[in-house]
Amino acid sequence: MPEVKLVDVTKRFGDVHALRGVSLTVKDGEYVCILGPSGCGKSTLLRIIAGLLQPDSGSIYIDGRDVTYKPPEERQVGFVFQNIALFPHMDSWSNVTYGPVVKCMDRDTAYKAVRELMVILNIAKYSGLYPYELSGGIAQMIAIVRALATGAKLLLLDEPLGALDPRVRVNLKYELRRMVKDLNLTAIHVTHNQEEALTVADRIVVMRSGIVEGFDTPENLYWRPKNLFIADFIGKVNIMRGVISRVIGEKVLISLTNGQLVELHAEGFSEGDSVVLAIRPENFEFSSDDVMQDISLTGVVARVRFMGEYYRYDVRTEAGETIIVNYPVGGDVKKLGEKVRIWFNPETVLIYPYPEKGIEKELMVEI
Amino acid sequence: MQNIWKILRITILASTFLTFTILVLFPTIFLASFPLIYIDDIRYEVFENPLIGSENLRLIIEVLTFSFKLSASTVLVDILLGIPLAFILARGNFPGKLLLETLVTLPLVMPTSGFGFASLLTWTTVSGVGKWFGLSRGILSITSNLPFIDVPIIIFIVHVSLTLPYIVRTVQAKLVEVDIVYEDASRTLGATSLTTFRKILMPELLPAIFSGSVLAFARSLGETGATIIVAGVRLTAAVAVVKWEFEFKLGAAAFLGLILVLITWLIILPAELFLTSAKGGIVKPPSLISGTIVERALIKLEAKFSKRIFKNILHGVCVALLLVLVIVPIVVVVESVFSYMFKDPYTGKTEGSVIYQLFGPANYLPIMLRSTAVSFASAFTSTYISVFLSIPLVYIIDRYRVGRILRALLKVPLVIPSSALGLSVLLFWGPKFLGLLTPSIWLIILTQIVFSVPVIVETTMAVYEGSNIKLYEDAAKTLGANPYHVVEKISLPILKEGIITGAILSFTHSLGETGAAMIVMGADIPISVLVVNMVESLAIPAALFTSAYLIIISTIMIVVFRIVSGRRRI
Repeated sequence: MPEVKLVDVTKRFGDVHALRGVSLTVKDGEYVCILGPSGCGKSTLLRIIAGLLQPDSGSIYIDGRDVTYKPPEERQVGFVFQNIALFPHMDSWSNVTYGPVVKCMDRDTAYKAVRELMVILNIAKYSGLYPYELSGGIAQMIAIVRALATGAKLLLLDEPLGALDPRVRVNLKYELRRMVKDLNLTAIHVTHNQEEALTVADRIVVMRSGIVEGFDTPENLYWRPKNLFIADFIGKVNIMRGVISRVIGEKVLISLTNGQLVELHAEGFSEGDSVVLAIRPENFEFSSDDVMQDISLTGVVARVRFMGEYYRYDVRTEAGETIIVNYPVGGDVKKLGEKVRIWFNPETVLIYPYPEKGIEKELMVEI
Repeated sequence: MQNIWKILRITILASTFLTFTILVLFPTIFLASFPLIYIDDIRYEVFENPLIGSENLRLIIEVLTFSFKLSASTVLVDILLGIPLAFILARGNFPGKLLLETLVTLPLVMPTSGFGFASLLTWTTVSGVGKWFGLSRGILSITSNLPFIDVPIIIFIVHVSLTLPYIVRTVQAKLVEVDIVYEDASRTLGATSLTTFRKILMPELLPAIFSGSVLAFARSLGETGATIIVAGVRLTAAVAVVKWEFEFKLGAAAFLGLILVLITWLIILPAELFLTSAKGGIVKPPSLISGTIVERALIKLEAKFSKRIFKNILHGVCVALLLVLVIVPIVVVVESVFSYMFKDPYTGKTEGSVIYQLFGPANYLPIMLRSTAVSFASAFTSTYISVFLSIPLVYIIDRYRVGRILRALLKVPLVIPSSALGLSVLLFWGPKFLGLLTPSIWLIILTQIVFSVPVIVETTMAVYEGSNIKLYEDAAKTLGANPYHVVEKISLPILKEGIITGAILSFTHSLGETGAAMIVMGADIPISVLVVNMVESLAIPAALFTSAYLIIISTIMIVVFRIVSGRRRI
């Protein structure tokens, strides 16, 4: 059963450090997404696991076997490409049976398994068609079957939904996850789409500039991100600066830049530390009365966007900051220029030490 | 105002078309009319000569058979050697890649007679490689034959070097175009690199290999300049055309030339049809052995040879062969010029030195300088005229229905043996038909125009088709530009690269061309032919010097070319 282990893998392309010492272990049967902005090295990592690229240093183990110097054909992986890459001169059936043919597998068994998989996925009827006759979604399903036809238990997906249109994308996304779980596969899925990663993955690797910034479950990454970059990259956050003015047991009293004081649960800080508060847009509320006076801000609605299930407001505070507030449809709609008072529940606030390089640098997708 | 532009346009196009017809089209196809007009000459010379009967017919069949064996085996080796080289250039990324690429292209721009002499010297004389191995003769004899097909090795080697670029460049261009993702997919599905090559890349590459082979075959069939130097007593068909014309056996020469043209066409036409029908679509070769026991055995074999070491050996051998075929002759010639500079290194006589032959009683220097002047003047004039003829032609080819036929006709001068082309031009302008010109530099220029126009049109068309030019022209029109401004400010700057590339290519081609020039030159001997004459009159030191001089000129040309065209492939 496939477990994938990377130990201190590095890769350079000329002056570009694509991977700077990546170590991680994907457990057997896990569906892992590698999430990161373009150019962060996530595709390079996947190609190194598949053997399509050689790392400069470090080792790759699949199933406990060191495969660092093995060519791709000896690694028993299924690889799904963003641009689908069905062989254009072969029909669907020749495409899906390509693996068994070139591996000289027993024909009857292999073909039977492939046919069954095609029936399950409801694509058997496309067997005789050529790639240019197929829609993107169907073609990608065929490509997935092709990747699994040799009995590979490790499925590597490189932006598999990237070339498809949005509706097909949503359906195929869940189909993929179900298939991986039903067939007991291990999947590593590279994407730059955080919603895709959050909805299908058991665990997510967040990468930036060749470094693993975090590796955790979607819930933990969203609600308890271990650094400001992840907090901002997964979902959106409003960022406010402050200074610890007093430490009271497990609580700290923070004075914000506008002079207001906020009391929060936090550990490991001492008086005088510069900190950053990150608050998700959906954790702000509008208030009309003076409740919770101590942590409310007043401002003017500077922009209103209708997002479907919610409205997104840009609220310009008196201190000149812009706070993004997501507010569900149903309440009364604020108007442009309206004076509003917003507040947040201190329990939902994420607190981080002020980054040495400055906030802007910390949030940059490329270092 | 509108009317003036219209009249101007029609005038330009009509005059272009007329000039093209007279300068390019008629001379090209005139050879075909020869048997009709001079049927008696042909019967007398080829079939029913009172003295020798049909001896000439027997000779024609003999040289044709020989040429076919030579060209077919050349193409076969080109394919075997060319595909790995194309791979190295298309997929590899290593220091010196640009140099290797230039090296592959060098035989295309080098005057073939100079290269032929260099090869002859290198492989069959004591001044060449033989000396390095301590032999007192060349490592090949001029009569050493390849086993089974009875083709002299030296001719074969020269033909492989001269035609290899056609395969390498076409396959390389296709490989660059093929997305590497298919190879990746195949590898992850468990196929080794050789299996991947056979099952995934071959179907994509077949058209390119095919068209490259056709070009290489046509080139080998028509090669004259180098062949005439290395062939010794053997005659290829293209060389026979030249020799017989010299012997005033015009009937036999024209008949053989015509057969050569027809054969070339029989090969090119189906190839063109096949390729245009497959264009855009996908070639689906029947998989006869797919999944059978035969394929299983094959896959196992491929797995054995897919190891990196075999790949490295194969690539190494191919690169080494290329170096040996192209670089060694150049080194030998340059080195020999120095060792022959003041005296013959073997006899010690000063009469056998480069200096003596150039400045002594033989007085080759003025002859050489005059030939250089003839070559450059004719190449420059023909290129200049061809450029002005080609630009409106590109327009005609694109906008009018007749253009497609024109474009197909333009392929003719590119592929038919140059000696046959020279003969055709001579017959058209010369005393036999129009009677306007006798062999001289003027006829050289007219011949060079015939093959320069297609070269420039093709390179310009390539840029034209890839540039979306009509969109920009329309944009300029909506911004208020008149037709002249559109052409001057938009169209020409966009096409500039194609035009310059074509002009440089046609210039070097004109400079190096031998076969046609020998037929039409009269007393105005171009430098490429001078080498042949020197070799035939055994003025070896002079030939050495001239070859080295030609090779240096062409090397400078290719460097200039690289600078002008940046990294674009020619």
